[in-house]
Amino acid sequence: MGEYIIKRTLQMTVVFFLFLVFSYLLFNAIPGNAFSNLLLNPDLPPDAYQKVLELYGLDKPLFERLQLYIVNFFKGDFGYSYKSFPKTPIELIAERLPRTLMLFAIVNIVSFYTGFFIGKILAWRRGSKSETWITLTSVFSYTVFYPWFALMMLWVFGYKLGWLPIGKFLYPEKWYDAPFDSDIVFSSMIKFTIVVSLIQFAAYLATRGIESLSSRRNLRFASLIAIFIGSYFYWNNGAALIKKPYAADIAYHMILPVMVVTIVAFAGTALLTRTTMMEVLKEDYILTARAKGISQKRIRDRHAARTALLPVVTSFIFTIVTIIDGSVLTEQIFSWPGMGQLLLQSVLEEDIPVAMACFSFVGVFALVAHLLADISYSYLDPRIRIKSQG
Amino acid sequence: MSKEVLSVKNLNMHYETLSGDVHAVKDVSFSVKEGESFGLVGESGCGKTSVAMSLLQLQADNAKISSGSIQLDGVELVGMNESELRKVRWDGISIVFQGAMNAWNPVVKVGEQIREAIREHYPEKSKAENTEKIESLFQMVGLDATVIDRFPHELSGGMKQRAIIALALSCDPKVVIADEPTTALDVVIQDQILNEIKKVQQLLGLSLIYISHDIAVIAEMTDQMAVMYAGSIVEIGPTEKVFSTPKHAYTRLLLESTPSVVGEKKKLRSLDGEPPSLINEIIGCSFSPRCPDPSSDCKNPIKEMGLVEIEPGHFADNCCVDCG
Amino acid sequence: MNENIEQDLQKQLRKEAIRRNWNLFRQSKLGMIGLYIVIFFLFLALLQPLLFVTGIWNKGVYDPVVGYEAIKDTFLVVECPKEYPTEKYESMKDCPGDGEINVKRLYLAPGVEVGDYYEAFIQPAPPSSRHLLGTDSLGRDVFSQIMEGSQVAFVLGFLSATLGVGISTILGTIAAFFGGRVDAYLMRQSDLILMLPSLPLLFIISAFAELKVWHLAIVLGVLGGLGGSVITIKSQALQVKVKPFVDSARITGGSRWRIMFSHVLPNVAPLALLFMVFSVTGAIASESVLSFLGLLNIDMSWGIMIYLSQTDGFIFSGLEFWWLILPAGLAVTLLAGGFYLVGRGLDDVFNPRLRKR
Repeated sequence: MGEYIIKRTLQMTVVFFLFLVFSYLLFNAIPGNAFSNLLLNPDLPPDAYQKVLELYGLDKPLFERLQLYIVNFFKGDFGYSYKSFPKTPIELIAERLPRTLMLFAIVNIVSFYTGFFIGKILAWRRGSKSETWITLTSVFSYTVFYPWFALMMLWVFGYKLGWLPIGKFLYPEKWYDAPFDSDIVFSSMIKFTIVVSLIQFAAYLATRGIESLSSRRNLRFASLIAIFIGSYFYWNNGAALIKKPYAADIAYHMILPVMVVTIVAFAGTALLTRTTMMEVLKEDYILTARAKGISQKRIRDRHAARTALLPVVTSFIFTIVTIIDGSVLTEQIFSWPGMGQLLLQSVLEEDIPVAMACFSFVGVFALVAHLLADISYSYLDPRIRIKSQG
Repeated sequence: MSKEVLSVKNLNMHYETLSGDVHAVKDVSFSVKEGESFGLVGESGCGKTSVAMSLLQLQADNAKISSGSIQLDGVELVGMNESELRKVRWDGISIVFQGAMNAWNPVVKVGEQIREAIREHYPEKSKAENTEKIESLFQMVGLDATVIDRFPHELSGGMKQRAIIALALSCDPKVVIADEPTTALDVVIQDQILNEIKKVQQLLGLSLIYISHDIAVIAEMTDQMAVMYAGSIVEIGPTEKVFSTPKHAYTRLLLESTPSVVGEKKKLRSLDGEPPSLINEIIGCSFSPRCPDPSSDCKNPIKEMGLVEIEPGHFADNCCVDCG
Repeated sequence: MNENIEQDLQKQLRKEAIRRNWNLFRQSKLGMIGLYIVIFFLFLALLQPLLFVTGIWNKGVYDPVVGYEAIKDTFLVVECPKEYPTEKYESMKDCPGDGEINVKRLYLAPGVEVGDYYEAFIQPAPPSSRHLLGTDSLGRDVFSQIMEGSQVAFVLGFLSATLGVGISTILGTIAAFFGGRVDAYLMRQSDLILMLPSLPLLFIISAFAELKVWHLAIVLGVLGGLGGSVITIKSQALQVKVKPFVDSARITGGSRWRIMFSHVLPNVAPLALLFMVFSVTGAIASESVLSFLGLLNIDMSWGIMIYLSQTDGFIFSGLEFWWLILPAGLAVTLLAGGFYLVGRGLDDVFNPRLRKR
């Protein structure tokens, strides 16, 4: 396994290098540059434009710039943002990233869970009327025109009903006296979410050894309660207490995007789960389970769904890979200033250092996630052991 | 005088398909006593597996028991609802499937899958008790205790089959159905497995229903046997008697088509033709199209089919009683 | 002589197989619903040129891009008061009412006074007998636009899907079959494509290249074909590769290429076909989103219709100007969903284990 990882990492480095070169050339293919709209200003002194270009090194020939960029990149110097000088791309990304992560981590978890759940039910009710209706609803919610749908929901819930905020991730008024930056609140929220998930996961692992199924279920439920109580105490004491209203504000703003994306995205997972489960249901070991006298529900959840989990998890990981790409549209619509927006903006403004940094981030993310997917797949399915896979 | 553990009376089962109802099990009756092993033999498609599935009511969705009774220790199984049936499954009757290769869930360890069965019926047992039980079962079938933590794909065919037997015994059932358990294995392993099964049966005093198309295996393993053709039983009786004095033409042909190591060299007879399709109703003797010397009676559609006692405990289909 | 008989036999067998598959497909309710939807839109797509050619529709009026129909209506000129409520109106929203027009809007028309009747063009016009779905703000017939969009959807969908699936099937099979370095290279290549964020990439491409229907089809097809689908097809081809009949083909001396094309590919084909149908869904949805963002240079499509309604400011008019958004939005959803359902029906046909009986 270790050997495989090393080989793979080497390949990934090569790919990444190619990716960098390709992206850089691509950005430079766009006509004009970050400063071309300076030329629209009639009062501009004649040589100012040229000076600006020289300052940013944009007057050098393409090949030279490319070389410079690559060399600097591997030294760790990513340059400065053209548009938000003197901020570096790293600063900008650090500012935006937690926002995207928080929102889309929740979004993905919720929509995958919903999708898996519905897919399970769909496969089990094969052939019945409810299957047809649920599938039709899923399909048409999957194919609905996303921008329109999202805007509609914003309009209904934000404007007409006034229940949920219309955009952005906080109410500026509430934050006037805030002792922290939103970043800090975001990062503590993310840490909190991670800790909670880890605790839940650990509880799951720990109770696997217990024989009696009912006590297993009870213990896991107890751990859930414990998490609730723990969270309550955490947020009401010490440093967290002060952050609570701000965190709550952010969470409040997250409700609508999470809801909207879940409605549109759950169908993909649901249908995938359904198909895989249906293949599994015809396997002989399902018959064995029935012969053992196990209830239908338990067969569905412990045998069929377990195997169906494999492709669903792979698809989940692939969705995580494209998390930033997928966030572009959503962030635009909900005015959620995150990585996706940064990416898009930097591309539109031809802020090359920032754009390159964003692309690199996405690229590395994609590569690593792909590797993780391959590795985890071999754990989920013990039949697949990585031999000399490419 | 051992008592009857399983009694099947006039069982009828059919499959609903797009082309019509397929009457797969016709008026099948037999009984199995405690500690006895009962064999069911016949060609592929004659209905033996359908009978087995009906006993546990594990058939496919489009299969229905039209009539008849199945009684386990006096308790009627036909007509039970799903939750009652689930209690009977494995605890009362268990089954060793054909093709153990696929009977195992590939992503769960073998030991866990056996534990699951025990947990279902005896939830109050502790982990240690269950481990002990599984270890002793494994010992009985000749498996090492380390197999408990293995995944199914790590075991050889023979090992998987033994594990299936252990699985079938895990809840101490009264009846074990073995549906062609050795078909996919080589002869050497087959012999071992058969010996294991016999040993286990004697040790635990189980009743065994052994289903096979291999008449030689049936001869070796069973006390009572039944021959099935086209969905109904054409001959039934003590294995010895059926082998020594087969009455039905089909039984006779089956025996004659199996080569014997002892005795003089004989030319083997084989059966021409195919079993009849079970969609259309069969009138008269179902075997008559292939019978080598049918009497004029055989094709008579009005003749009532039924089993007639030839000698004590040995029954055969009345059509062939008078033939040859 | 023998060859002819063999060919005839093969043809017959194929016909039988098709008929059998069709019957199986018919059984799937969802598949049939999808098929009806697709046929409906296909009909719309073909109807339009027919209407023009036969002269039932005058091109000058009904052309989706350059047609124009001026619809006039008479309005009573009123002056809206500054304070509400008044005798006639309850609130600002009620003035001007139906059939009325505010005099302030007519500042360019001289000599018009309150109380006069004024004939104005209404654009966009609501549905009427001449224009089944009304007209848009440039006086173009919306129904005709829907039909044009249908043509675009089919062309785009099929082109990009065929291209994409063709590429990924061949590459995936090659990767599965040859393994080793070839496999590694192809996997890294699809990694590279996966790494590129799709939406920003399309923004970039649209910045220096004109994206018309054909171009978009090629871009979508190539990107889709070289990306993650190669990995999925490869895993399917791997499963086929370990089947006994491939070994027997090898033993009888078939060359690798031949085995790949005559044996492995036909078995991967059902999955590929499924992919293709789902790709069409994706292509139609993508086009609408991209047009909505103003990235494409297509004359008319459903996405463009929604885009126009947004730039004209009608998208949030509630239900007042529904014919500008709803037909296009519904069309996208229905056709994309329809293709998906067809894919589901095909799934039932090709995957015997999923069948009920």
